[in-house]
Amino acid sequence: MAAILEIQRLAKHSWNQDNRESPYLFEEVSAVIQQPECISVIGPSGQGKSTLLRTLALLDMPDQGDISYAGISYREKDPRLWRKEICYVAQQAVMLPGSVEDNLGTASRLHGEVYDVQLAEQLLEETLLAGLDRKKNASELSGGEKQRIALIRSLLLRPAVLLLDEVTASLDNISARAVEHMLQQWQAREGTTMIWVTHDLEQAARTSSRTWFMSGGTLLEDQQTIDFFRRPATEAGRQFVRFLASEAAL
Amino acid sequence: MTLLALSFTLLFVIATMLISVWQKLGLEKEIATGTIRSAIQLLAIGYVLQYIFRTEHVIYLVMIISVMIGVAAWNAARRAPGMRGIVWRIALSILTTELLMMGMLLGLNIIEPTPQYIIPLSGMTIGNAMVVAGLYVNQMRREVQSSKGEIEVLLSLGATASQAMQDVRKRAVKFSMIPTIDSMKTVGLVQLPGMMTGMIVAGADPVEAVRYQILIVFSFTGSAAITSMLLSILSYRLMLTKELQLRPIPEGTR
Repeated sequence: MAAILEIQRLAKHSWNQDNRESPYLFEEVSAVIQQPECISVIGPSGQGKSTLLRTLALLDMPDQGDISYAGISYREKDPRLWRKEICYVAQQAVMLPGSVEDNLGTASRLHGEVYDVQLAEQLLEETLLAGLDRKKNASELSGGEKQRIALIRSLLLRPAVLLLDEVTASLDNISARAVEHMLQQWQAREGTTMIWVTHDLEQAARTSSRTWFMSGGTLLEDQQTIDFFRRPATEAGRQFVRFLASEAAL
Repeated sequence: MTLLALSFTLLFVIATMLISVWQKLGLEKEIATGTIRSAIQLLAIGYVLQYIFRTEHVIYLVMIISVMIGVAAWNAARRAPGMRGIVWRIALSILTTELLMMGMLLGLNIIEPTPQYIIPLSGMTIGNAMVVAGLYVNQMRREVQSSKGEIEVLLSLGATASQAMQDVRKRAVKFSMIPTIDSMKTVGLVQLPGMMTGMIVAGADPVEAVRYQILIVFSFTGSAAITSMLLSILSYRLMLTKELQLRPIPEGTR
């Protein structure tokens, strides 16, 4: 059986201010995802975690290497259909013009499908937004509300792979836990694969079964989450875990 | 008007240049070049028109309109540096507008099918279409720049190029038509347009001059809408790559 997602020796240049190519932001990134799972992507800032997710969603093009979804390379697939299956949710939630409802219905409008009001309501409730006026102009929402609406907007597309870029970064603890719980439920119901960039080690430990540690311009470690936190395989990994643990203790 | 009388109008230019020197505006050189260019261009076109009107040969008519469209497209495309393939798209939009306008004016017998009517009216239509096209491409780039996030959200949700660019296109079309619509609203109240003024000065009946001016105003609005919408259809895809990603916009928006 073909893997859900296969990444082979992926590399991406970083661009400096003059739009000139500079050395690789990351290279030699390889991984195989055989069954639906939740993967945390952690690592110091500037290692290209967001760029990796954007590249997997084809919002940026790989400079080298290949990505296959269900055995088909991105080169042979219409990027539009690719993104219907592999959806990126940005850290900075951008609302489209119109109401909250307009935003939630975007995926169904784009693909001529019926808007599942019940599902939308359920997800709003699970993310503690049950009381939100859906007629409200989306641009008037708070940062945390926008982030949750953007997430639900993507979930309603029902992608097979969800690429989450610090989607709880603007949320308070309670809302963040609610979103985590909702996403775990969603995964159990829909069998969605999630690749989740986070800076919160506890969140990574709570939500994921597998952890990717990005450092030194590559995917340095790819381990079961429990193993990574118990005993990182590399010195960089150990330092990173120690550093974040001391930060959390403060 | 005698040439002597005409040369007296240079006094206006000299006065402007003196003011520029006095106020240290540094515009003398530009004013001088502008004066010489406009005088030569206008005198030359006067003689060309005189020749064409006499010979009444269609090929000259086609040639002069082609040159007008070519220059207009090239000029409008300067508003979009680095956008490959934009010149011919603008040219095609302006050409279509011109053909539709002339087809309507001639087909409905609104004007006579002679170079005396066709050339000046074509010049005005093409000139207006050029301004609209320049505004459109300029605004399109700004809109894409400021709506990057919106476009990426739509793309990440599986939008087609046309779906991702729809709102941006709509806003740019609207923007490019504002000057035409505004001048339509205030025409006759704020300014007496060039064509009408010219006809009145040349001794035409003001009411007759006004009729032609109304014709111009209406066809300008029509041509602005056609040029802008057509150009938006022809050019939105240039803002995205083959793989449906936003293309970086080269610097130097003018």
